[in-house]
Amino acid sequence: MDDVLNQAIVSGILIGGLYAIMSVGISLTWGVLKIINLAHFSFILLGAYVTYQLSTSWGWDPLLTLIVIIPGGFLAGVIMQMFFELAKVDEFQSLIISFGIFIIFQSLTRTIWSADFRRIATESNRYESMSFFIGDIAIQVAPLVAFLAAVAAAIGMTLLLSRTYFGKAVRAIVDDPEIARAFGIDVRRVAVLLSGLAMAFSTAAGVFIAMFQSLSPNMTFGWLGIVFSVVILGGLGNTVGALGAGVIVGVASGVASTEWGPLTGPLVTFLILIAALLFRPQGLFTRRGST
Amino acid sequence: MTSRTKSLIGFAVAAVVLNLVPTVVDALDAPGFYVTFMFTAFFWIAQSVSWNILTGYSGYFSFGQGAWFGIGVYATGILSVKHGWPFLLALPVGGLLAGFGGLLLGMVVFRLRKQSGEIFALTTLAIAFVLASLARLYSWIDGGRGIFMTGTPLPEFLGDFRTAMFRMTFAVAFLTLLTAFLLYESRVGWGLFAIRDDEQVAHGLGVPIFRYKMLALGTNAFFGGLMGGVWSLQIGFVTVDDVFNIRVPLFVILMAVLGGMKHWIGPAFGAVIIYALTDRLNSAGLEDLNQVIIGGLLIVLVLAVREGIYLRLRTRWKTAMGVFLLSMAVWTVFDLASSLIWDFSYASLITVGVALIPLGRRLDEPAPGTIVEEAKDPSDRSPP
Repeated sequence: MDDVLNQAIVSGILIGGLYAIMSVGISLTWGVLKIINLAHFSFILLGAYVTYQLSTSWGWDPLLTLIVIIPGGFLAGVIMQMFFELAKVDEFQSLIISFGIFIIFQSLTRTIWSADFRRIATESNRYESMSFFIGDIAIQVAPLVAFLAAVAAAIGMTLLLSRTYFGKAVRAIVDDPEIARAFGIDVRRVAVLLSGLAMAFSTAAGVFIAMFQSLSPNMTFGWLGIVFSVVILGGLGNTVGALGAGVIVGVASGVASTEWGPLTGPLVTFLILIAALLFRPQGLFTRRGST
Repeated sequence: MTSRTKSLIGFAVAAVVLNLVPTVVDALDAPGFYVTFMFTAFFWIAQSVSWNILTGYSGYFSFGQGAWFGIGVYATGILSVKHGWPFLLALPVGGLLAGFGGLLLGMVVFRLRKQSGEIFALTTLAIAFVLASLARLYSWIDGGRGIFMTGTPLPEFLGDFRTAMFRMTFAVAFLTLLTAFLLYESRVGWGLFAIRDDEQVAHGLGVPIFRYKMLALGTNAFFGGLMGGVWSLQIGFVTVDDVFNIRVPLFVILMAVLGGMKHWIGPAFGAVIIYALTDRLNSAGLEDLNQVIIGGLLIVLVLAVREGIYLRLRTRWKTAMGVFLLSMAVWTVFDLASSLIWDFSYASLITVGVALIPLGRRLDEPAPGTIVEEAKDPSDRSPP
C-alpha cells in the first residue's frame, strides 16, 4: 500500500510539471496583459494533434516536432495579440472573443481528427514505453521530460524577467502600463512578444501531452479545472509559482485517484481551485511587492 | 399611461395569445414540431434572461448557469423518479434548491475581502465541475447510471406531452421575463446597475451591495433550476454528461451577448435568434459547422455591435421591422423554404444583418454603447 502511495506521489510530481507548462501561458497573459485567453486551451490541443499527425504520417520523433510547434505557437500568439490591439478589445471582450475562438477550434479539431481517441503509434513514439526504476518506484520517461522542460521554463522565464530589458519592461507593465508607456516602453511590442511566448508554451505543452496520453477533442474541458487551479494557486504571471502549484495539484489529484478511486481526482482538483480562489486569490507563492 | 403599465399589458396579452398556440396548431393540423420549436425557444429564453439578471444587471460574469440548470434537472429527477413525488411538486423544490445553491455560493464569494469579477467567474465555472464530479461519484444522485424520466406521470390538465412541455416552459419563461422586467424597473435594478458601473461608488452611495447581489444571484439560480427541472422531461434519460456540459453556459452567454446584456429583454432576442439558427443548421446536418458559425458570429458581434442587437435595432426599429416583415413575406409567399421555421430563421438572420450596417447616426440617436433605457426612463416613473 505504501509503495502504491509513493508511486502516486512521484507520478503526481512529474505530471505536475506538465500541468505547469500548460498553465504558464495563460498565467502570463492574464497576469501581465490582463487577458484571460481561453484560446490557449485550443492551442494546447492543436499542438498535441499536430504532434500526433507529424509522428503518425511522417514518423517524426515527438520531441522533434517542437522545432515546428514552438515557432508556430509563437506566431499564433503574436497574431492574436496584434488582433486584440488592432480591435482595441477590453478585458471582457477578450474573454468572449477567445471563447469564440475556443469553440471554433473545438469543432475544427473534431471535424479533422474525429471525436475518437487518438494516440501516437508506439513505433514512432519511443518515449511512451520507456521507464526506469528508483528503488520500487517506476519513473516514466515521457512525464519526466515534461517535468524537466517545466523546470527549464521556470528558470528561463525567471532569468528573462529579472535579467533582460524585455523582462524589466514586462515588470513595469504589470505595475502600471500607463507609467511604463510614459517612460518610453513600447507596451504594444512587449505585449505582442509576450503573447507569442505564452502561446509557444501552450503549444509545447501539447507536444508533451501527445507523448503519453490519448487525445480527444473533449480533453480541453478536463484541463479547465487543472489549469485554472494551477494559475490561481501559483499566482498570476508567476512561472515558478506555476511549477509549485502544478506539483501540488498533480500530487493531490494523483493521491486522491489512487486512494479513493479515479473519479475523485477531478473533484479534488476543482476543490483546490475553489479553495485557492476563496482563500488565496493572490497565489501561494506571491510575496508582497513581487509580481 | 406609463411605459410600465404598457409593458405589463403587453405581458398579459402575450400570455393569453401564446397559451393558445398548441390548441391552434392542433386545430390547424399543423406539424407538431412548431410546438417543439417554440418550447425549446422558451427554454433558452428563460435560461438566458435569468443569467442576465445576475450578469447583465450586476456585471458579475457567471459561468454557473450549467450548475443551476443541473441542480434543477437532478433535484426534480431524483425527487419525482426515485422518491415518487408528483412532478409538479418536485419542480419548484428543484428550483428552490438551485436558488439555495446560488445563495450558498454568494454567501461565500460575496463576503470575500477582495472582490473581483474574475474570481467570481472562475468559481462559478468550478462549481459546475464539482457538481458533475459529485453526481458521478454518488449513486443516490446518479453514480453513472442515469435517471429515466420518460413516462413520468403528468397531471391531466396539462394535455399531451408536447402541450404539457409547452405550457410548463412557457410558464417558467413568462415568470422569468416578468421578474427580469420588474427588477429592471425597480430600485433593486437601479442598485444593481450602479454596482455594475462602479461597486465602490455604489456602496458609498448607500446601495446595499451584498443584499442586492445575493438577490440577483438567487433569482438567476432559481429560474435556471426551475427551467432545468422542466427540461429534465425533454432530456428523457438524464446523464451527467448531458447535463453538466459546457452547452448551457456557453449558449446562454452567446445569446445574452448577442441580444444585449444591458436591457432586460435583450437576451430573449438573442435566445430566439441563436436557437433558430442552431436548430436549422442541425436539421440540415451541419452540427460541426454550427459551432464554427456560432463562434464566428460571437466574435464579429462583440466587436461590431457592442451593445447587442436589441438596443442597436431599437435605434432603427422601423428599418429592422420592415426588413423582417418583408423577408418573412418574400420567403413565405414564394415558398422558398420548406417550413415556417426556415422562413423565420432566414428573416431573423437578415434582420441581424441590419444591426451590422453602419448607418449614419442622427444627432438624436444615442451613441452605441450608451444605455438608452436608463437615460430617459426616470421622467415617466413614479418614485418607488
